[in-house]
Amino acid sequence: MQRRAFLHNLAAVGAISCLPISIQRSLAAEAGAVSVDELPKLEGDLTLYLGRGEGGLYENVLEAIRKRNPNLNLQIRRGATAALANSIVAEAKAGVRRADVFWAVDSGAVGLVSDAGLARPLPADLTGQLKPGFRYPQWAPVSGRIRTLPYNTERLTPDQIPDSVMALADSEFAIGWAPAYASFQSFVTAMRLLQGEKATEEWLRGVSRNATSYAGELGVVMAVERGEVDLGFANHYYTLRLKNGKPDAKVDLAFTNNDAGCLVNASGILALSEGDLPINFIRYLLTREVQSYLATEAYEIPLVNGVKPPQGLPPLSTISPPKVDLTQLADLRPTLNLMRRVGVL
Amino acid sequence: MNLRPGRWPASYPLALVIALLAFVPVGVLVGLASDSAQLFDAHNLKVLTNTLLLMLFTVLGSVAIGVPLALITAYVQLPWRKFWLILLAAPLAIPSYIGAFTLYAAFGRGGEIQQWLGLPMPTVNGLAGATLVMTLYSYPFVMLTTRASLLSLDASLVNAARTLGMTIGASLWRVVLPRVVTGIAAGALLVALYSLSDFGTPAIMRLDTFTRVIFVEYNAFGLSQAAMLSLQLLVIVGLVLFLESRVRGSKEKPGRHLTLWPSRGHKLMMALSIAPVTLLAIVLPLLVFGTWLLREGTGGFDATYAWNSAHASFLAALVAVVLAIPVAHAAIAGRAGRFMERLTYFGFGVPGIVMGTALVYVGLQLPLLYQTLALLVLAYVLRFLPLAVGSVRSTAEGLDPSLVKAARLLGASPREAFQRITLPLTLRGMVAGAALVFLEAMRELPATLMLGPTGFETLATYLWRVYEAGYFGRAAIPGLLLVLMSALGLALMLSGERRAEFDVTGK
Repeated sequence: MQRRAFLHNLAAVGAISCLPISIQRSLAAEAGAVSVDELPKLEGDLTLYLGRGEGGLYENVLEAIRKRNPNLNLQIRRGATAALANSIVAEAKAGVRRADVFWAVDSGAVGLVSDAGLARPLPADLTGQLKPGFRYPQWAPVSGRIRTLPYNTERLTPDQIPDSVMALADSEFAIGWAPAYASFQSFVTAMRLLQGEKATEEWLRGVSRNATSYAGELGVVMAVERGEVDLGFANHYYTLRLKNGKPDAKVDLAFTNNDAGCLVNASGILALSEGDLPINFIRYLLTREVQSYLATEAYEIPLVNGVKPPQGLPPLSTISPPKVDLTQLADLRPTLNLMRRVGVL
Repeated sequence: MNLRPGRWPASYPLALVIALLAFVPVGVLVGLASDSAQLFDAHNLKVLTNTLLLMLFTVLGSVAIGVPLALITAYVQLPWRKFWLILLAAPLAIPSYIGAFTLYAAFGRGGEIQQWLGLPMPTVNGLAGATLVMTLYSYPFVMLTTRASLLSLDASLVNAARTLGMTIGASLWRVVLPRVVTGIAAGALLVALYSLSDFGTPAIMRLDTFTRVIFVEYNAFGLSQAAMLSLQLLVIVGLVLFLESRVRGSKEKPGRHLTLWPSRGHKLMMALSIAPVTLLAIVLPLLVFGTWLLREGTGGFDATYAWNSAHASFLAALVAVVLAIPVAHAAIAGRAGRFMERLTYFGFGVPGIVMGTALVYVGLQLPLLYQTLALLVLAYVLRFLPLAVGSVRSTAEGLDPSLVKAARLLGASPREAFQRITLPLTLRGMVAGAALVFLEAMRELPATLMLGPTGFETLATYLWRVYEAGYFGRAAIPGLLLVLMSALGLALMLSGERRAEFDVTGK
């Protein structure tokens, strides 16, 4: 109870620095992740490109880091994750570098930048804190998210929803999606890798017959809840957050089985410029405090050892995600071309 | 102006440079598009259809609402005439994407209206939704231009028709309207340009028009494809501008104009037909913002957003007026100058998103400018310069040239004559022009999103971010501030240049 109260406090004022000692100890018992108290202070100028889509929650984390490090001049450029990834590559081509760190809501965009050879390698002690299977030399996953099918509980029952995402192309459900959203594009990339180009194209055509587009996936979930559509495609946390604020919300989560429909993806961060500052900034995001905050408040899945997963999500052991190497999701260009060809982008 | 033959007026070289500068974005786009862009495909055809349909329906809707309202505000004797006029022109102070945002949130299942009244409401989106929003916020263009033409008519023709037995309705239809067609057309063309260039409304209403598709392409950094689409959009804009230059009606000698005295029944009918427009365009957005403000408070808002908006827009207004002076003077001085002025008008037809695409590329080539306030201000200036030029020129034209001649005769140098006579007398036009640029820059969205410096959040970009993230409640403060500041800008503008037009004459 005390711990929850503390995390709410963190949410409200974003003050990582005012932990009572006793609580720090109880958190430390969970082991694994480092506490912010063990990290060096951040000093100097740092420009962060922040993939948009998380609303205020990432902002709260950044604000807390700012408060704790008064000598850090943190500039934030917000934009659609894919747009920022492309900007970073275009800037590098033109010989301009503006970003020191890139925090993307999606690992596909991270891969796009690291494939262009722009990411700096991360030290082994940093990546070593992450759960096995989430350790990459060039970038660090910050939090995990699962692709889900949020559905309107007044219009559908769980057994009406097929457990294959591919079957939705032939269904007559009214579907909500956000084709311009990076996570969705990664999901289509995963489908392309798993099912092939042709099947994906047919799937896109099939779904687009009954699909309504939204700007982001929170929009999708809200539309599902309003009953504007029967079901949608969105990362898991939008639904959990909506239900947290509105317990009687008419929306619930369905999962598909072992296909792109239940892909486990990650938001990730990478350093673009040399030096300790970007690396140490990344360390802050992997601390116990930030990871617990993201799990309890943002309902994201912590990827650092020893931090509890969010409430309201079925145990990960009951979900059967497909086996996809997250860095392969960087192969975004063919996906965009495909989506454009079908006319959904 | 007294010019020595064979010599260019002093304002020409400067005006020429500025006019060429205004053309840079188009050159950049042509270069980008020749890179590797697909010229046309099936999806393009749909986008073209959507764009043209939106333009057509918006123009029709605006004429259908704007012309009757012009008749009412020009001729009908009502109590508080000035109040009605301002109320009906007020949608001009509300950026259409704010209207789109609030209408979208108010209607539909679980929308605000359903929450207030418990009545299920249809969803407002798509072509119908975009048309509704664009019409609600652009009919004042038609109303104001038509009203200006109506006020310049002489009532004696109508009186003649009436004496010959024509009803009032028939004489309005057959005698009055044909004589104000140019006024209606001028307003309709403004509406057409506006509907072509708007980005926020189609994006929020989820209608694939050129501006929205260009934004998607830009976000995938398909700069060359975005440039190709931009050029296609510019072709349409060029056509509309060409049409506008064709429509120049003959002037009629103004006389006493018509005055109609409505009965109580007529008044009621008019009120009933005006009410839905005002309710949807003004009352609803304010109510929605008010509800959100009460529900969610002022969380997340930072006063620097307002400061950033005002700061950048002020710089743009200042630069635009300074640049407008030589262009306006060149336009008065001769034919070549008039042509240069026309060139700067092109920038106004270039939608913000297109300007942004071009300048992002320019910035990448000139890293010194990339992501700086200077580049953003340049984008504003290039787009809104014609507003300042028009304002400065119309006051300068109204100037009595004999004053300057007298000053010269008394020994003043051309510079002194300009400083002591021309400048003070055109100050009002400059202020009006600056206010207009300020107003437009303040609410500009797509170019600001693309070009703004890192961490530079304005009211418009913050609104967009809030919309994208789905935290609608946080839109209340920036939305209300934007409307308030727009209203102030509009008031300043009206008090300057257009005083005559707005004056309720016939007293």
